[in-house]
Amino acid sequence: MTLFTIDKVRKTFKNGEVEEEILKGINLSLKEGEITALVGASGSGKSTLLTIAAGLQSATDGQVLFEDQNLTTMNTEQIRKLRASKFGFVFQFSHLVPFLTVEEQLLLMLDIAESPLKKHEQQSEVHRLLQLVGMAHRKAAYPAVLSGGEKQRVAIARAIIHQPKVLFADEPTASLDSQRSQEIMQLLSELTTTLNITTLMVTHDEEMLAYADRMIKISDGAVLSNTLY
Amino acid sequence: MNLAWKEMKKNKVRFLILGSIIFLVSFLTFMISGLANGLSQDNAAFIKDLPQGQFYMAEDADGTFNLSRIDSDLQQEVIRKEKEAVAFSMQMGFLNDQDDKQQSVAFVTSTASTLFSTVYQGEVILDSSLQDKGIQVGDILTNNQYNGKFIVKGFVAQKKYSHAPVAYISEEAYEEMYRVKDKQLIYVPNSEPQNFKGLQAYSNKEFLNTIPSYNAEQLSLNMIIWFLVVISGLLFAIFFYMMNVQKIGLYGILKAIGVKTSKLFNMIWTQMVIITVVSLVLSISLSQLVNLVSPKEMPFSLTISTCVFSDWLYRSYVVRATD
Repeated sequence: MTLFTIDKVRKTFKNGEVEEEILKGINLSLKEGEITALVGASGSGKSTLLTIAAGLQSATDGQVLFEDQNLTTMNTEQIRKLRASKFGFVFQFSHLVPFLTVEEQLLLMLDIAESPLKKHEQQSEVHRLLQLVGMAHRKAAYPAVLSGGEKQRVAIARAIIHQPKVLFADEPTASLDSQRSQEIMQLLSELTTTLNITTLMVTHDEEMLAYADRMIKISDGAVLSNTLY
Repeated sequence: MNLAWKEMKKNKVRFLILGSIIFLVSFLTFMISGLANGLSQDNAAFIKDLPQGQFYMAEDADGTFNLSRIDSDLQQEVIRKEKEAVAFSMQMGFLNDQDDKQQSVAFVTSTASTLFSTVYQGEVILDSSLQDKGIQVGDILTNNQYNGKFIVKGFVAQKKYSHAPVAYISEEAYEEMYRVKDKQLIYVPNSEPQNFKGLQAYSNKEFLNTIPSYNAEQLSLNMIIWFLVVISGLLFAIFFYMMNVQKIGLYGILKAIGVKTSKLFNMIWTQMVIITVVSLVLSISLSQLVNLVSPKEMPFSLTISTCVFSDWLYRSYVVRATD
């Protein structure tokens, strides 16, 4: 079942007098529970596409449809609410809040998503998820004392604790070594499959494609190929 | 979740440094303001404590009250017209105490008025600062220009002029000492300026500014205070701006994951308000403590209104810095 549709999306930027077209009418759809990898050279437009799909910036033209909602016609507050409740994000450098403990990072996300869980239920949920990502023993630690791999595990836990429908991952393993990258992708793949989360992931690491169900190759702002594994 | 408080708890040193800078700069401003007010009181409390009204001096004195002479006919004319009007004169001079020690004073004499102490021939009423120098009620004081003696009848609080305590004496004694019958000034409380032939009207503020030492002293001190206020404003703005600029990345991520913009503003505001309020409360408390424990000879006066005004000024800086 199609959960997410990107329909003829164009994005142009003005660079002085010159107008640059970054995305040239992209069409793609994400199937529920699938992991879709966006690949392409630097500057091909894959990260721009991801941010437009996630509602972090608007498209110049075209539509982004999620379930029955059109992101391109929504106002800022409606998109924020959608991001907070239905989307999850994993960034290249984890970007955890430096002054919150591991446990608090997850509680904050539940707070943002306006979780209906009571306080003690939220704490049990946080503990359960930290156990899933193997970080329960470090719940009182601050990001500064965690390794790169540990930070990414916490970032993944933060991205899915509110049970989002879609997970956006922008080069989630780019800052990790090969072994840690495999571990993180293994974890991401297992969790999204178990929780039936649709994933759109930007990567330039071909080894990571082994975890994807579909690969979309982007070149020069256009879809070059759409391959289902 | 209270992000502002959590960040402050985690980064205690950073916020402590910022708070101490605000504390030190505001404390310095309060201290200089206290000294400026203190000097101003020491210089002209006798005039400043009078209610708002009009001072009249002879037109040909050209704004220098020492040169002003208002003859008794004109005095009577004004006093007849304005029931509360009082004519008075001031001159610097000396009083010798019982040990023949000279005390510098400002002699003041006036026509009958509730605003000035009433003294009879041979009596003197002094500013209370002379009590600290050992002068008591009933003491006999002398002056080499006055043939009689002055008996101290009492003391009044906070009556100073040109950094010297005021000594109220009778019109007769003043006339004998300075060989002048005319008064220098007429003061009419709670009134608007009026036209009296040969007289020039001054409001309280205008009259204070005609006192040369007062004007020069206050101008210098006010310049220092406003310079400090501007410098501290710039410092606050730069520190708060830098602190938030460093966190732009974090704000971006928080917004991306769905944090409301209002929540981020709330976080910034809470931190700025906590730091500013705590620092200002501490600096106001410490400056009030200095006010209490400073030696009596040190002219220091820090009123609550000055503190409240400075507090408002500093907090408006914070508002500008976070905008």
